[in-house]
Amino acid sequence: MNIAVSKETFNLATHIQSTTGENVMFCYQCKKCTLGCPSAYRMRMKPHELMRAIQLGREEEIYWSGTIWICLSCETCNTRCPQGINILRVIDRLRERSKEVKYYNPYPAIPAFHRLFLALVERFGRIYELGLAVLVNLRMLSPFKDIDMAYPMFIRGKMKPWPHRSQGVKELQQVMERIRRLEE
Amino acid sequence: MRYAYYPGCSLSSSGIEFHLSFQYVARSLGIELVEVKDWVCCGASSAHATSHLLSIALPVLNLSHAEKEGFDKLIAPCLACLSRFKGANIEMKNDPHLRKKIHEIFDYPYQGKVKVYHPLEVFLELGLDRIRARARKRLKGLRVACYYGCVLTRPPQIAQFDDVENPQSMDSIIQALGGETIDWSYKTECCGVSMTLTFSDIVLKLSNDILREAKEGGASAIIVCCPLCQANLDGRQRQIEETYQVRYGLPILYITQVMGLSFGAYPKEVGLEKLITSPKEVLGPIGLM
Repeated sequence: MNIAVSKETFNLATHIQSTTGENVMFCYQCKKCTLGCPSAYRMRMKPHELMRAIQLGREEEIYWSGTIWICLSCETCNTRCPQGINILRVIDRLRERSKEVKYYNPYPAIPAFHRLFLALVERFGRIYELGLAVLVNLRMLSPFKDIDMAYPMFIRGKMKPWPHRSQGVKELQQVMERIRRLEE
Repeated sequence: MRYAYYPGCSLSSSGIEFHLSFQYVARSLGIELVEVKDWVCCGASSAHATSHLLSIALPVLNLSHAEKEGFDKLIAPCLACLSRFKGANIEMKNDPHLRKKIHEIFDYPYQGKVKVYHPLEVFLELGLDRIRARARKRLKGLRVACYYGCVLTRPPQIAQFDDVENPQSMDSIIQALGGETIDWSYKTECCGVSMTLTFSDIVLKLSNDILREAKEGGASAIIVCCPLCQANLDGRQRQIEETYQVRYGLPILYITQVMGLSFGAYPKEVGLEKLITSPKEVLGPIGLM
């Protein structure tokens, strides 16, 4: 593969460094991140390849691969990186940025899950597990997914049929509203 | 000892037995728990995947509630909450720019005085001797695998607890109570919980690896300290057995349930009947149930 390096090539890496303080240029491809990553088997672009792609500014390929959404946020790569790069923080920044850049995403269900999760938190102050599961199932067009798991939990009283509204929800809504305004 | 207690969303529904058993153990060890007033969700993995600012603001909102009530120690049993809280405290301390932003959002300026603990950290601070002295029944004949989950010890600069790749805290408690623990290499592997509602095939594979390793290591049960690990390993065990054509039948117990039983609790007091894979076959023969 031929790679043409220009001034723009480093825009993405510079952007990551200015927003998170993490310098991906430190990565020298030792692959410790990929070898320890529990979900790397499911990624089209492995974590070390992701680091290289950021170094080379291949933003479109990064988003097309969907790697940032397959990451489980388990922090193994952060812990083992000999160069001390906080890889999860970099991935989180790319996830945040996906709202602005609008590239194709092969796994739209996962950001949709996060939106539903936060919408329910904003509504009730706490997670309403049954409601979240139902909404996510509807979003993924598989309404009866995991019903065999839900039933035994339900009869043992481990899954509440109704949401519980926290007393602190007013304050929470205020905080979330202020953050939205700050980030616009 | 008085601690602010942040149960988190899981402990009020799918992890209710962790809540019950932790309350029991805390009572017997003389730890006083006061629930944080008007607590709200910590945002877990959805907040940090959406907005960095939000992922700091939600924990700070809860921590400032505890600080306002005069607490300087807070216990969060769920590992997702624990890691968000510890991370927020550290970032607030080290990043003046972020601190300024957070103070603009909140009416109350959080001072960062509340230190966050996992129940295991509190137990070990009390000391194994105190735990041993409280035991009425020995766990003789119990051979278990202790599974710590992903973020109890990771990353070390945030967690600041136990060995990062080979933690020993739960093993030492089980051994102090007379039980036996196996050495195995999946102690801190991820069970994949953040994908549980979306891509469950990942969760089934990762959880299957954990169950298989524990079984092959000769464990008759897995001991956990996080409600999300428990929900995955226990709640999905039947699905895993069907998908991979195996039979595990491993009960997934919370460390506090085992401690409670050893301290003389009735099975109901520590919520044993809430477990989906019944521990009767394992705990019955050794007189714990």
